[in-house]
Amino acid sequence: MGITTRRRSFRKAGIVALSLVAVLGLFASACSSSDDSSSSGGITKAAWIYVGPINDGGWTTAHNAGREFAAKELGAKVKTTFKESIPEGPEAAQVIDGLVKDGNTIIFATSYGYKQQMQDAAAKYPNVKFEQATGDDITTGKAGLPTNYNEYWGAGEDTLYLSGVAAGNASKKGVIGIVAPFPIPEVIRHINAFTLGAQSVNPAATVKVVWTKSWFNPTLERQAAESLVSSGVDALFSHQDGPAAGEVAKAGNLPWVGYDSDQSGSYSSVWLTTATYNWGPYYLAKINASSDGTWKADNYYGTIADNFTSLAPFGTLVSGATKSSIDSQLALAKSGGAKSFGWFWGLQDRLDQDGAVKIKKGTSLTQKDLYTMSYFVKGVDGSAKG
Amino acid sequence: MSAITRFGIRLEPRPDRPRWLVWAVPVCSFFAALLVGAVVLLVTAQNPLSTYLRILERGFLDQGALSGTLVAATPLLFTGLCAAVAFKIGFFNIGGEGQFYMGAIFASGIALSYGDDLPAWLAILSMIVAGAIGGGIWAAVPGILRAYFKTNEIITSLMLNYIAGIIATYLIFESESFWRELDGTGAVFPKGKVIPLITWWPNLDLGSLVIPFGFLLGIAGAVWLAVLQRRTRFGYEMRVVGGAPTTARYAGMRPSRIIVIVAAISGAFAGLGGAADVGNFRHVLDPKGLQQSGFGYAGIVVAALARLNPLATIFVAVILGGITNAGYALRGPDFPSGLVGTLQGLILFCTLGGEVLVRYRIVRTASTSVAVKAAGS
Repeated sequence: MGITTRRRSFRKAGIVALSLVAVLGLFASACSSSDDSSSSGGITKAAWIYVGPINDGGWTTAHNAGREFAAKELGAKVKTTFKESIPEGPEAAQVIDGLVKDGNTIIFATSYGYKQQMQDAAAKYPNVKFEQATGDDITTGKAGLPTNYNEYWGAGEDTLYLSGVAAGNASKKGVIGIVAPFPIPEVIRHINAFTLGAQSVNPAATVKVVWTKSWFNPTLERQAAESLVSSGVDALFSHQDGPAAGEVAKAGNLPWVGYDSDQSGSYSSVWLTTATYNWGPYYLAKINASSDGTWKADNYYGTIADNFTSLAPFGTLVSGATKSSIDSQLALAKSGGAKSFGWFWGLQDRLDQDGAVKIKKGTSLTQKDLYTMSYFVKGVDGSAKG
Repeated sequence: MSAITRFGIRLEPRPDRPRWLVWAVPVCSFFAALLVGAVVLLVTAQNPLSTYLRILERGFLDQGALSGTLVAATPLLFTGLCAAVAFKIGFFNIGGEGQFYMGAIFASGIALSYGDDLPAWLAILSMIVAGAIGGGIWAAVPGILRAYFKTNEIITSLMLNYIAGIIATYLIFESESFWRELDGTGAVFPKGKVIPLITWWPNLDLGSLVIPFGFLLGIAGAVWLAVLQRRTRFGYEMRVVGGAPTTARYAGMRPSRIIVIVAAISGAFAGLGGAADVGNFRHVLDPKGLQQSGFGYAGIVVAALARLNPLATIFVAVILGGITNAGYALRGPDFPSGLVGTLQGLILFCTLGGEVLVRYRIVRTASTSVAVKAAGS
């Protein structure tokens, strides 16, 4: 290549570079900086870290609805933000650092896998409140933990027990399939509660469990549901972050109980009900408490009575009699007539899969018992070890 | 003549590749990506300039940002080297992901078994060796299959990723294995045992910048690889095998043996990444977190952007690490995570697409008929 061509190439490159600069400048002037450098006078900045996308149609959707509720209630007094689909691990630490840098003074993380990073960050940033949805403090105690770190969760098993009542009545054969994520105490106690609910109306009812080993994997969830249907179940419950099993229920016209978000609209032909979590009031209360200085680490466990856990609207497949039976139990729980949570465990002797008595009639379970439940009750077909 | 003719322009192979072009094309491609990205941002009602400034701040300039970026860059550096060394000889190892998991499994296994009984330096050294062996074995399998049975390594190494993922999940979620914490909080949620404190890898704290030991190890690995490739007889053999396997055989080399060795080296790099993940960052074997991160697949991108050059891999890993790191800062109510992915994809697409300009030059053809004739000739 001669000198001249090289020079020409340089000139060409120069023209390209110049036009690049020109266009960039154009953009710069076209969008006059709309940066919001909020003058944080009385404004609380609150942030959420989500494990899934906000439109997962379940877990993250519900948390995001909670965030929107708090934002709406507080109006100009709060500025909320969120980070969706954040991997659990070292990446979360960077996300938290960024959120603190952005001036957030209360951070909610909504998956168990962020716990370590949240605790580390709480020690690092003592002036920021760290709220971890789900956790295990209750089993170890708060000793040694930063005081600006808290865990919150709710008694979903209570409302799943009532969902089980609906499913037990809807299933003709009394065989219900469950698509479940991980064999962990949280899910195990939920499956047990659901099973006991079904057995409260049909003592012979059994459930079959298939593990997906994933919170949100529509393909796997669908396959699991299909395998359950082909094994002969005539009702489905999916304990997943999304509604994929509902599609299978719809195709087979089988009654379906979802999990943690109201899907009655999209799946009206098969919808029974589900346990939902009403995160909004909790978020509202905690943001308020953090701005007026009354915030404390209270290890919150929400109940039906304080409206944290509730049932999604019933579908048309739920009979009038079933509805009124569930509603009366709900009303009892709401009025505080039942214990604040878990009133049903000790209604009679509860056996495990091998027939050993695990809960004696009349005893009540503590939150710690619930958090470490690792056995299935009688009537569950599947392994609690995965 | 191999020329590509379309739309009145013609791409013809460059007889030479001037040095400045090799640098100018990627840089210009990068800016082109920013421009296209700016259009996407404008269409979605974002301010491109403030978006790019925020990437720069949160990825590199802010206090502590670069330290965070190095945390993100460390695994990418190892998986980048994993892909770079293998692709260079035409061994398409897509298995960095699984080799990374195996490295993490081996390294955490060693740390949990012997960590408390050894002095720190020896414990860390054995984690490094174990990680390299774990990843190396996992990559040697597709290497042997390719070298001696002519199996397609793209398929085999990819499939082994799933198997490694299932093994890691099994160890923590589906069994009461040695790796799993069964007491205390482990009864609430399945998790790995935390490795002994003495085996935690150190960080080099320079005040405003914290450099993980794993990153330094990665740099050492890149330098070693560069020397191996350029200054040794084995490096020469690698080049010949990569360029012309038949020639290599006529010249008395043993391509099969070289393929297996390179596959093992490639896997060892990914395995080191897994060891660093356990030793430097997570301190547990965390199959869920590992699988959410997808470092192995990202490493292929790093290697491609670095043109399979080990030293360039260091810089690309830092830049991509910074963009990933800053990507978290961008996400929010008005900035869906998909848009972050789109921007990252655009940069990749343009930079790789620009490659063609290094190898071909554009010649304007007079008319379509000429173009057709040229194509036919």
